[in-house]
Amino acid sequence: QLCPPQRDLQASAVLRRVSDEQKKEPSASPSQFHLHPDDYQPEQEPQDTHPSYTGQGGQESEDYESEEQLQQRILTAALDFVPEHGWSAEAIAEGAKTLGLSVAAAGMFHRDGSELVLHFVSQCNTKLSELLKQEHKRVQLGEAEKKATDQFLRDAVEARLRMLIPYIEKWPQALSILLLPHNIPSSLNLLTSMIDDILHYAGDQATDFNWYTRRAVLTAIYNTSELVMMQDSSPDFKDTWSFLEKRVADAMNMSNTAEQV
Amino acid sequence: AAAGLCPCRALLARRGGALRELRGSVRGLAAGPEMHFGFQTVTEAERREKIYRVFESVAKKYDIMNDSMTLGIHRIWKDIFVRKMNPSPGTLLLDVAGGTGDIAFRFLNYVHSVRERQLQRKLRQQQNLSWQEISETYQENKLKSLGDSQVVVCDINKEMLKVGKQKAQHLGYSEGLSWVLGNAEELPFDDDKFDVYTIAFGIRNVTRIDLALQEAYRVLKPGGRFLCLEFSHINNPLLSRLYDLYSFQVIPVLGEVIAGDWKSYQYLVESIRRFPPQEELKAMIEDAGFFKVDYQNLNAGIVAIHSGFKL
Repeated sequence: QLCPPQRDLQASAVLRRVSDEQKKEPSASPSQFHLHPDDYQPEQEPQDTHPSYTGQGGQESEDYESEEQLQQRILTAALDFVPEHGWSAEAIAEGAKTLGLSVAAAGMFHRDGSELVLHFVSQCNTKLSELLKQEHKRVQLGEAEKKATDQFLRDAVEARLRMLIPYIEKWPQALSILLLPHNIPSSLNLLTSMIDDILHYAGDQATDFNWYTRRAVLTAIYNTSELVMMQDSSPDFKDTWSFLEKRVADAMNMSNTAEQV
Repeated sequence: AAAGLCPCRALLARRGGALRELRGSVRGLAAGPEMHFGFQTVTEAERREKIYRVFESVAKKYDIMNDSMTLGIHRIWKDIFVRKMNPSPGTLLLDVAGGTGDIAFRFLNYVHSVRERQLQRKLRQQQNLSWQEISETYQENKLKSLGDSQVVVCDINKEMLKVGKQKAQHLGYSEGLSWVLGNAEELPFDDDKFDVYTIAFGIRNVTRIDLALQEAYRVLKPGGRFLCLEFSHINNPLLSRLYDLYSFQVIPVLGEVIAGDWKSYQYLVESIRRFPPQEELKAMIEDAGFFKVDYQNLNAGIVAIHSGFKL
């Protein structure tokens, strides 16, 4: 070998320059290597900027999105095809097609669509977290009333479950995928962090065993409500929300009774 | 075609620099650098010539020899390979060094059965159709039984392609299949054409592996996949010794008895030993520009599947 592999200095055919997305000007240092323009997808590369490489690798890798980011983009695009194809490699292939990639790009993921489900759940959890944070901020600024605990929990779980509505037809399939042995660590992780989030914003400051009991109870409420939602055919899932209300009320009663004893 | 491709490659200044590219472009005129042919040392031009003659002579007995040398296990390897590819209907496959068509036929079978399952699922959802609509659906499905999938089998050797075409006719494969004579180092195809590029037990015989990998990168669409099935190195010392014993003592003998050709099978076994191991091949694939390069060992390393994506 005459020199170390210069792989990281080649233009990728698909990985976009992150700076294009952020509209950041590339640095003014003269480019050492002028890459062949055909390697870029034309609409993503303004004609007058050249890629600037300051060294043998370090700077460059920050300008391009990583493979993981591209995978995230494919999975997000694939969600549109889930109602038709289910949570499967086919949906991922269709998603890749809309991004201008070959259907073979679905080979980057598992055959059973696990990554798609996990990506969706993680996205929902992030959205929920945002919602709760916004609400918390509003309460702090005095724009909204602080809710009672049971109302807060009910609203949080309802908001989270409502995110499943567009995919409700295929959600049983998603649940079964989440329960596959090789997915259980990830799915459990996502579930527990979501429950933790909700209770954190509910103002839970327990430092004793209650920390565990509260989370266990809320997890049970969430899971059972999810299952009820699967086979609920009432308009706008009315039955699910009333089920949820009763369970949260039960839980509150239980904790009150426990305190009295 | 080499002259047209060269300026681009010189600009991109990959491994070894422009000097290597220029040397590549005048191949055939000069004797070329020293290369290995099995355990012999030959020039580049000589190597190509010798390999061509090896496959010319084994073409007719190629399949029988594969079965007897690997005790039929090569079929399982190829099945696993196509399963890993998991092609969906509408995939365009380029099978390089695919001579007798093993991968191509498996691909067509796979795509056909996936398509059938898709159609069944679609029919199950359409519960309330009139008889007219149902018969129209059946007709449309019959015409698109492969769902627009296609495989192009490319090989440098005319004899191997001939055997492949005969096999296709014999087994009844007609649509979605084409046969092209071509060199893996200089493919007669445009850029960004194929969804998947496969090379099964062929890359070992390519004289300039880096050029073949660059060509693979060129003809793949963005998002396309490179898959390579090839003999590789065993880590386990005991297995390695047994494998060596089997390779050098049994295989050439089988070659002589079944195909009447000791030397070709001696070359085969030696070329396996000379081929780079898994990690090195992975690095070469990454150098060609592929991302997410990974390999999977089959049978403890006797065979390895390398996969990369053009991202």
